[in-house]
Amino acid sequence: MIRVNENLVMVAVMPLLAALITAALGKRWLRHHSHWPALIALGYALIMAVSSLGRIPEGGALAVGYDWVNVGGFQVGVHLFTDQLTAMMLCVVTFVAVLVAAFSVGYMHNDPGYPRFYAALCLFVFCMVMLLMARNFLLLYIFWEGVGLCSYLLIGFWFQKPAAAAAARKAFLVNRIGDFGLLIGLFLIWTNFGTLDMGAVFSTAPALGSGSGTLAAICVCLFVGAMGKSAQFPLHVWLPDAMEGPTPASALIHAATMVTAGVYLVARATPLFVLAPQVQAFVACIGAFTALLAALIALTQTDLKRVMAYSTVSQLGYMFLALGSAAGNPELARFAVVAAMFHLFTHAFFKALLFLASGSVMHAMGGVIDMRQFGGLRHVLPWTHLTFAVGALGLAGLPPLAGFFSKDEILLAVAAGTHGPYGGLMALLLAVGFFTAFLTAFYTGRAYFLTFWGAARLPPEAAHHAHEGPRWMVVPLFILAGGTAIVGWLLGPLTHAFEHYVGQASGLPAAGEHAGGSWVMWASILVAGGGVALAWAMYQWRPDLPGLLVDRFRQAWLASLNKFYLDELYVAAVVRPGEGLAQAAAQVDQHVVDGLVDAAGKAPLNAGRWLRPVQNGLVQFYALGTLLGLAVFLVALLMRMAG
Amino acid sequence: MGKVWLILMLLTPLLGAAAALYLGNARGRLVRLVSLAATLATLAFAALIVVNYETPPLRTAGEPFASDPDYALQVPWLVYSQGGSTAATTINLQLGVDGLSIWLIGLTALLMVPAVLISWESISDRPAAYYALLLALETAMLGVFCAYDVVLFYVFFEFTLLPLFFLIGLWGGPRKRFAAKKFFIYTLAGSIVSLVGLVGIILSLQGPGQAVTFSLPELAFRAGKNPIDAALQTWLFLALFVGLAIKVPLFPFHTWLPLAHVEAPTAGSVLLAGVLLKLGTYGFIRLAIPLLPLASWQVGQPLVAVLAVIGILYGSFCALAQDDIKKLVAYSSVAHLGFCMLGLFALNAEGMSGAMLQMVNHGLSTGLLFLLVGMVYERYHTRMASALGGLAERLPLLGFFMVVTCLSSVGLPGLNGFVGETLCLFGMYKMHPAAAVWGAVGIVLGAWYLMTLLQRVFFGPVREPELHGDAAPIVDLTPRELAAIVPLVVFCVWIGVYPRPFLDRMQPEIRALADRVATAAGGER
Repeated sequence: MIRVNENLVMVAVMPLLAALITAALGKRWLRHHSHWPALIALGYALIMAVSSLGRIPEGGALAVGYDWVNVGGFQVGVHLFTDQLTAMMLCVVTFVAVLVAAFSVGYMHNDPGYPRFYAALCLFVFCMVMLLMARNFLLLYIFWEGVGLCSYLLIGFWFQKPAAAAAARKAFLVNRIGDFGLLIGLFLIWTNFGTLDMGAVFSTAPALGSGSGTLAAICVCLFVGAMGKSAQFPLHVWLPDAMEGPTPASALIHAATMVTAGVYLVARATPLFVLAPQVQAFVACIGAFTALLAALIALTQTDLKRVMAYSTVSQLGYMFLALGSAAGNPELARFAVVAAMFHLFTHAFFKALLFLASGSVMHAMGGVIDMRQFGGLRHVLPWTHLTFAVGALGLAGLPPLAGFFSKDEILLAVAAGTHGPYGGLMALLLAVGFFTAFLTAFYTGRAYFLTFWGAARLPPEAAHHAHEGPRWMVVPLFILAGGTAIVGWLLGPLTHAFEHYVGQASGLPAAGEHAGGSWVMWASILVAGGGVALAWAMYQWRPDLPGLLVDRFRQAWLASLNKFYLDELYVAAVVRPGEGLAQAAAQVDQHVVDGLVDAAGKAPLNAGRWLRPVQNGLVQFYALGTLLGLAVFLVALLMRMAG
Repeated sequence: MGKVWLILMLLTPLLGAAAALYLGNARGRLVRLVSLAATLATLAFAALIVVNYETPPLRTAGEPFASDPDYALQVPWLVYSQGGSTAATTINLQLGVDGLSIWLIGLTALLMVPAVLISWESISDRPAAYYALLLALETAMLGVFCAYDVVLFYVFFEFTLLPLFFLIGLWGGPRKRFAAKKFFIYTLAGSIVSLVGLVGIILSLQGPGQAVTFSLPELAFRAGKNPIDAALQTWLFLALFVGLAIKVPLFPFHTWLPLAHVEAPTAGSVLLAGVLLKLGTYGFIRLAIPLLPLASWQVGQPLVAVLAVIGILYGSFCALAQDDIKKLVAYSSVAHLGFCMLGLFALNAEGMSGAMLQMVNHGLSTGLLFLLVGMVYERYHTRMASALGGLAERLPLLGFFMVVTCLSSVGLPGLNGFVGETLCLFGMYKMHPAAAVWGAVGIVLGAWYLMTLLQRVFFGPVREPELHGDAAPIVDLTPRELAAIVPLVVFCVWIGVYPRPFLDRMQPEIRALADRVATAAGGER
């Protein structure tokens, strides 16, 4: 027990140490060796995380730290809690982090900010691990913003580029909006439960009763936070822009780990969400809608990384759909949470793989990532091609790759939800889920065929880079491809290993029976296969088809290409009015508020100017005044005597 | 020993000022060194006081204030007897240190060192007078926080105006005279109304057969035992409010602030924002809340909640519109002090602790912002965001510290600002949820204007104004500048990572005050 705690603490401490060492010594001493602290610390953290997996006691392990704040009724301690859910996430984070750190050795090697990159990367892993292990909502919030900071630093890594600087600011601000919701949720939790400790909150929540308005409000607020971090509509707009950052950072932060923090939060707060079925239904709706919207946008994007970014948004939507599918059906909650977490787990493999493979393409193309500029790379980049294909099939959801099994679980969960109180809604969402699966397979296939098939074309920037990267880059690709190929059937519904393990996590309600249907599986294979086939038909067999379709459905194509004009809408509806308000406030301040002050300041002066004629120096005038005054006084006196 | 340190801490700056005047303008270099030595010595004494301060186990609502006996000092100053029955009335030189003042004393002493360092090269005109005024200001500021006698408090409180008036009026920017005049008259006018309120409080707290007292602990004790009549409390509170709200500054009394900041020399801005604004909030927690708890609850809480929220939102929007970086920082102060007031008038332990911490945090973060803006100005002779860009590439160290400071200012967890703001908001949420929620909007707006500033001025491609032929080449932070910045950054991180020692020291007083307000309000409900 004690060993487990120590090991788990090391998972957090090692990356922090590496971040501090790299930040302090990187620029002057470590320089192009700056990856070593990161590799050693992250590797060690990975070993610690994996070796702790089997030794987490029932109900979780708690490592007691120090009291951060203890004021009045406000107590927040830095204590680390790990149960099976957390332990699984820790493994995902450290595993992907190690591979990304290794890949970056090749990818980032000539960058002048090399040490800065590794320092930010390690800081991110520290914050993410702490977020996962937080047992107090405020501590979670602290590291929630912490990972946001690391994301900001890495998106803006090439801060000299105006687009990167703008994207970093956008990410920070949109996340802040989500964080605002989360903070309000914390206010509500604290005033209603008197504590921010998750264990205490979860155990006393049932006393408030199912369907309580307060709980619903709390859950909505928590979900708003999750929407910001996990890029759900309407707060998804920052994630595609975040691709301005270095690709390995995108792979780790904006694909595999940080963006799943919202999913983790909702899963973690399952004891609250099962008591607020209407909010669960809302979560499912937002998830399904985001999945569909992002998939539609991904259809037409020409930037390979952006296709992947929208696909991430879409897949995260899937996870939320799963989490919400147990609405009003507590016996289903465990299955639904496990399905979401399993998709999170497999997604980390194939999406990190796709991003790193895209990075490998970008590396070879001299920084060009626009699919219109290159093609037919399968001979130029054979390893990248092979691994990308595995990842693409995984994302498309074809058996026996990981994505197939986890997507199937999600669809099964939603299908089971159709028998619950929100049955009609779930049936609709199931249809959306299937349609999105089709779109996913199609756009994944499109990206794959456009990049690797057809006649070989290279952009001029590629010059003599156009070859595979060093071994540092290729090996992580193969490890991730291997994972994508096996984790699905090894841990998934064939063996139930994942379900049995994560299902032990604290706070999940007892599981009930749910109807499985093999039709879901066959339908999902059919849909995915159809999507890939259509992509092949359009981009391989008849390359003139896309052009014809674009001409035919020009409006729809433009809408998708322009991301349904949401960015423009936000600029017009939020940013411009805000800036207008700012200008107005500044003008009001200068002229009205300050004007009044200056007027008040001038009052004595003006009064003096007005009274000045009285002091005209004429004795006769003063005598007149005296006389008049005396007269008034006498009259007053007389009237008083009379009255 | 404690008393000796206290006296030395208050006298050292004055000695330094005298030395500076004696050396005269001709020996500018020596004057600077003497001033630096004086501020460092003062800092050492302040550090001794802070480190050796012993937190009492508990204070009661009846007697919220008492100095740590080591630092308690009382010397009769003005004694007069009214003749006849009552005892002689005494105005004492009563000094002391408790949990409410301890960190503000530390902050003042800490900020003085960078204030001297940042003036090192930028002030060449009449250095002796400049540094003498700066040091005199230090004594006045420390005096306010150490004063345990109302008259002494008020004397120091008003005395801070004089050095700053000259610092702005003589060494300021193009509109320095107007700015100095406005600053002086506006705040003085307010304090005179407050003085009336104070006199009213002192007279109202004179029980039958008691002598008039000016001692703060004694006044607080009497106010707990025999509270002032409710209606009278309201009027007295409003009188105090006028002066203190101008000082804070609370919307709509803030317009002197941007002007004064823009025109003041960097050191003046640092001290104005870092310490002098805190005199207002400190006045509230030292005078208004303990002596007029019922009015603070009945009148103060709703009034301040509304004005503070407006200040947060309005100040943030005004900041967003500014091109002049210094003005942006000045408006951000209005917003940050809004958070502070929101917490203070939550009138519970969470809120008031947050407010006290926020006072220190704002001093550190905004002090740093003004220092950094001053350093940019010294290099480029402009503070306009539109004229600058990509400075992080040109000046990596300055850029790094600017990013850290902005993050501290937007309340990023792990840095100081977060702790204070969060406690303030949580405290207020308990009382008026709507006010806290609207205040929390300010967190988003704060990120908006500061992240925009970073993006425009520090990121993107390098853009800098044309330099004249004889101008010095642009170099990154010098060791002197680093020495000014780094200590403050260290505290920003420390408070963010481990705020407990800072919060724990003020808990006895805060708890006693919260109890007192609860008792007063409970009697009313």
